[in-house]
Amino acid sequence: MKKQVSHYSYLPFLLLTILISSCSRFLDVEPRASVSDQVTITDKISAEQAVRGIYSAFADGSYYGTSFVSIGYLSGDNVQWTGSQSQVQEFINHQVSAENSTLSAAWSAIYRAINRANNVLEKLPVVTDPQLTENLKNQYLGEASFLRALAYFDLVRTWGGVPIITTSSKEPSDNAGIPRSSEQEVWALIAADLDRAEQLLPLTTDRFRATRKTVYALKSRYHLYRQSWEEAGSYATLILDDNTQYELLSSYGAFFTNNARGTSESVFELFYNGTTEINSHRNQWQPQINGGTRQWAPSAQLIAFLNDPATGGNRSVLIARDNQNRWYGNLYYRNPASDPSYIIRTAELFLIRAEAFAQLGKPEQALSDLNKVRLRAGLVALESDNPDFILGAIESERRLEFAFEPHRWFDLVRTGRALTVLNIQDANKLKLPIPASQLLIDKALEQNPGY
Amino acid sequence: MKIIFRVAWLCLMLLTFQITVMAQSSKINGVVNDAVSGLPLAGATILNKIAGKEVLTDQKGNFSIDFIPGKHQLIITYTGYQERNILPESENFLNILLNPSNKQLDEVVVVGYGTQKRKELIGSVSKIDPSETKTIPAGGFDAQLQGKAPGVQISSNTGVPGEAVTIRLRGATSINADNTPLFIIDGVFINSTSLQTISTGGKATSPIADINPSDIATIEILKDAEATALYGSRGANGVVIVTTKRGSYNEPAKVSLDVTSGVAWAPKLWDLTSGPEHATLVNEWWVNTGEDNPSLNRSFANRPFRPVNEIVNGQPGRGLPEEQATYDRLKEAFRTARLQSYDLSVSGGTKGTRYYIGGGYNKQESILKPIHFDRASLKVNLDQKIGNRVQVGVSNTLSRSFRNQARAGDGPQGGLLQAALHTPTYLSPYNDQGVLVGRAGFDNLKLLIDNYDVTAVSLRYIGNLYADAELSRNLVFRTSWGIDYNHYDESEYWNNLLIAGSPNGFATSSIAQNTSWVNEQTLTYKPALGEQHLLTVIAGNTVQENVYSRTYLEGRGFANNSFTLLSSASSITGTQNWSKNSLASFFGKLNYSYQDKYLFTASLRADGSSKFGVNRKWGYFPSVGFAWRVIDESFVQNSSWLSDLKIRTSYGMTGNQNGIGDFAALGLWSGAAPYQGVAGLSPQQLANSELKWERTSQFNVGLDLAVLDNRITLEANYYQKYTRDGLIQVALAATTGFENYWSNAAKISNKGFEFNIRSVNVNNKNVKWTTSFNVARNVNKIERLATPLQYGSRNLILQQEGSPLYSFWLYKQLHVDPQTGNAVYEDVNKDNKITAADRQVMGSVWPKFFGGLSNELNWRNFDLGVFFSFQYGNDTYNHNRFFGEAGGARDAARVIFKNNLKRWQAPGDITDIPRIDGINVQNYLDGGSRWLEDGSFLRLRNLTIGYTFPESWSKRISINKLRFYVTGSNLFLLTNYSGPDPESSANSSQNQPGIDLGTPPQPRSVQFGLHLSL
Repeated sequence: MKKQVSHYSYLPFLLLTILISSCSRFLDVEPRASVSDQVTITDKISAEQAVRGIYSAFADGSYYGTSFVSIGYLSGDNVQWTGSQSQVQEFINHQVSAENSTLSAAWSAIYRAINRANNVLEKLPVVTDPQLTENLKNQYLGEASFLRALAYFDLVRTWGGVPIITTSSKEPSDNAGIPRSSEQEVWALIAADLDRAEQLLPLTTDRFRATRKTVYALKSRYHLYRQSWEEAGSYATLILDDNTQYELLSSYGAFFTNNARGTSESVFELFYNGTTEINSHRNQWQPQINGGTRQWAPSAQLIAFLNDPATGGNRSVLIARDNQNRWYGNLYYRNPASDPSYIIRTAELFLIRAEAFAQLGKPEQALSDLNKVRLRAGLVALESDNPDFILGAIESERRLEFAFEPHRWFDLVRTGRALTVLNIQDANKLKLPIPASQLLIDKALEQNPGY
Repeated sequence: MKIIFRVAWLCLMLLTFQITVMAQSSKINGVVNDAVSGLPLAGATILNKIAGKEVLTDQKGNFSIDFIPGKHQLIITYTGYQERNILPESENFLNILLNPSNKQLDEVVVVGYGTQKRKELIGSVSKIDPSETKTIPAGGFDAQLQGKAPGVQISSNTGVPGEAVTIRLRGATSINADNTPLFIIDGVFINSTSLQTISTGGKATSPIADINPSDIATIEILKDAEATALYGSRGANGVVIVTTKRGSYNEPAKVSLDVTSGVAWAPKLWDLTSGPEHATLVNEWWVNTGEDNPSLNRSFANRPFRPVNEIVNGQPGRGLPEEQATYDRLKEAFRTARLQSYDLSVSGGTKGTRYYIGGGYNKQESILKPIHFDRASLKVNLDQKIGNRVQVGVSNTLSRSFRNQARAGDGPQGGLLQAALHTPTYLSPYNDQGVLVGRAGFDNLKLLIDNYDVTAVSLRYIGNLYADAELSRNLVFRTSWGIDYNHYDESEYWNNLLIAGSPNGFATSSIAQNTSWVNEQTLTYKPALGEQHLLTVIAGNTVQENVYSRTYLEGRGFANNSFTLLSSASSITGTQNWSKNSLASFFGKLNYSYQDKYLFTASLRADGSSKFGVNRKWGYFPSVGFAWRVIDESFVQNSSWLSDLKIRTSYGMTGNQNGIGDFAALGLWSGAAPYQGVAGLSPQQLANSELKWERTSQFNVGLDLAVLDNRITLEANYYQKYTRDGLIQVALAATTGFENYWSNAAKISNKGFEFNIRSVNVNNKNVKWTTSFNVARNVNKIERLATPLQYGSRNLILQQEGSPLYSFWLYKQLHVDPQTGNAVYEDVNKDNKITAADRQVMGSVWPKFFGGLSNELNWRNFDLGVFFSFQYGNDTYNHNRFFGEAGGARDAARVIFKNNLKRWQAPGDITDIPRIDGINVQNYLDGGSRWLEDGSFLRLRNLTIGYTFPESWSKRISINKLRFYVTGSNLFLLTNYSGPDPESSANSSQNQPGIDLGTPPQPRSVQFGLHLSL
């Protein structure tokens, strides 16, 4: 009996010893789907992937995937609300609340993209890898600079002056509590980033990633917004003269119908493969019969314009009807969801240059550019020598040409026409509110007036 | 760690030096009789621990056992009687009388790593017999317990069987870590987090529903720190210990059969406008908005519902309101559901073996087509004695739960309630060509019901293997190995007739596996210190690991609707997840009582978790407790009316780490940021190397009182809980590029009381009537939270310092101006504008008090059980009404509820529904308090009437017991809430309770049952 007792007694002792000795190892569990932030941008491959990560942030559903784009067209007069999410109607009514969830999603998504760009700009210069040639390094840094410029461009045109963040966040305390910079300071940062990108990037053609040509195109738009008409025109010319690469396709629909992507009309568009990279934009537009929610639809006025051969021309391909005879927008239609997000098209550069010429008092040249776009849409050429008439025609043309791309609202705000055209009483509404949730978190932020 | 090591070493030393006394033995004979009736007790156990002998009394109560006079103690036990210890000084014939046990005080209660008699308890523990509630049509036993235990708040968020419920023990302690109690089944810490990945609109399935309630013997709910501290790391939200049925030694095989069958239906649904009413409201909206904003060019002349032949802008009218038809889709979607359940079990035992084998099948249809839940389960419990000192055993639960699932919550695609409830009633299900079409952005209801193909199969094994070894007279060693394995297989197929499957089919397959194993060792030491002192020391350790993995595939592009497997899809993508955490713990507990009057306890548990920061993995959780059995003091002992009086108090600390990500403390980059089909990298999470345990300290003081010979018993508890280092995803300014990071940044308090009163009203030969009533109150408050947090896409819930968790964050509607018809909201910041700054905390999702009342009446062979549960003083936000009472502004996109007809129409109208204008502008503001309603209720949870055939009759046909019964659930509901069910909650995520977006209500049911045992 005694022997039996001592025999048992070893059991707990043994177990305890084994357990205590292996305890610390037992409690160390490493993830498999992620890596520690200590080992990120260290060589050519990880640098390349971190740059793709920035594009991926731009392609996010809250940024160019859907939300940000929708702010640009919902706030105009092309779209009516047909779904259940009332935040959509706030844009259409020009009564955007600081609690609008689309708005806060976009704000966060843009800063997420900026943080990714900052990581590359900060970590890449010190990486030494023989595979990572000087040219490649310059290209990656140039792309990151370009993308950061685009992100701030989108921030400033939506909200005005915003906090400027140019370093990556490593600790929770980093980059928080930064007050808003002035609009001028943001524009200056964009200009500097674009200049840097122009120097670093190669003069090649890539419609899905930034090259020096993409920088020219965005610089042209930058100067349009800054109303420096000479530069707006000259940067547009740099692209438009490169007419073997950049042209207007013969019919309006050619840049997006039949699953087209990366056509020679495109200067910069975001790529989605439809499987691991999904552009859910179609869900908002397509009717239920096509698997969408038809959260919003073209407005009656837009339908009338597009279907009128004198104004819409062959741009009527933008809309279609479902099995209940309801109209829906058909720019984003692919299944699986792989529609590109169109950021800059050749048509925009023609219209920017037309506007610049008109502003500079060169109606003939302005009309020439405007009519290229009109003729492509199957309309008749306009004739006039009145710059104001031409500017009005450009405004109308842009409304239809970019009906479902993020332009209408920003165009009317930048030209000072929004109050009249959209019947807005309060000029404060031209700048959208800083998300209320951010004001709660970050006491350094100040709300735009009127909210 | 060193201390624990030493304690263990000491224990080992002690046991090695145990000396077993070997001496000459002789025999003693005796008889065991009932002290009251004097009748012999057959099958009573006489145990001589020291000699390691055990015998049973024969039919006449006689026994004979080896023993040494004056040295060997005999322990006499018999079920239903008080245990007796005697130390005979001679070999004279023994006449032993056993007193029937006092059920209340001698009730054995399962506590952490052992059992105690109720009279010895210091902590607060509720014991529940689940047999009374097991017929309530809900999948899991947790959902059935509403109102049964004081301080345990249970809300059934939906009436869909097998769905998760919300359980809160003494309030909620955490914002981002889990608030559900720890469930332990036969020693296995089981997973209670749903493995569901299919979106059913905010709902989740319940892993508890995998367990057949019929196999459960008892449920113990451990509430205060004394009771839960031994489960330190996971005890902060309370512990639910489930003990399944086992056989008994020396008992002939007993066969039991239980069958129930019945129907369930919705007692109440939503009141919708008819087609003409809907059209009238839309026209009114049209004209009103035209008056407000002339640029819209809306007037009576071009109103939408005008004669068909009045063409405006090329569009014909939709017909006058009175010409509109009404289509009742709710009637098409809801049904009288069938319920059925079958359980068969065999249990018994021989001298050294006992067993329980149970098989069950349960099928419940939801009142909402086409949902149903069915579960087949097998239970095998075995125990085997090896000699007199060792016992080994296994518990096995094997089940398969099948769910025919459907989206019964929020969201358009495949949304049953969207199609049935939210589609305007005037719209025909057919288009002009006679083809079935979905309306208002939702699926066509008939197509949806006919083509729904979303299923989930959960295979579950919960097993435990243990060995108890009595190392010496005073020392017991136990080792236990448990595993909870859950294989969760979900698949969806959407054909091209449904929105999600347009244009050519969509299918998904997800297989998730969760494996959690636990191993524990305990040493229990009970030294003999004489009559006055009783000391028990427990020391032990556990190690646990949980691994989750999931593989998911989705495919699109099917040839046609006949091919439904992913193999036929033209494009397939997949993903994989994996996560793991581990926990190592050491614990010790000491119980000491002096003269059975002064009870003292102290415990300490150390837990190391893989989830926390490098140097913060270990947490230490102590507790102390004291109880005084006043009744045993001489100054009250002679009281004629007092039969029990005990005062208890305890203080201790428990921890929480559940619900946070397994890698929450690490700074991470993700490889899932592809572009152009090539992998990309992105920052994913900021590190917090200081992330540590959330700790909850709890003070409890309680009173146990029984009067009039235990006819009336009262248990009362008051507690205070304070949670520090609360785990929370602290919101970060978006400018950081991150949304939040894990931190210990919150402090939360809960305090409250619980009463449980039980009374035997009548107890005579023919009638027995008992009543029990419990009521509890909990007051919750966020004591510290640097940045307020908002939840839900509409920010309806705010967590802020100084307010309770889950505060509704609303615009307070004061009244509707009788002159203008406009809603007047409280302008909190007095800037003459209603903006987000005017939102305020209103109402409360927390009830002022809640509980249950049950009555059991036995009259001759009839039995009657009536059980009510109630909540008072809580509010529910009827967000469904925000959508359904948009006053026509949503036009053809949404149904209009009947209540909207009470809108203001002309000056002088007194109503709370304002004049119709747009949505989310002044009058129809999302987040308006108009939709905050009183969620109090009194519910007749269960009513059962049964008849047991007289034994004399049933014995003749060799039946032990035969009982027929009829049972009804939810037969009566008293509430001011305007929706069908005040417990409805859109979202099963813990920070968004009390928001009703429309879900099937809990059904009313009637079932017939039969119980037969042989």
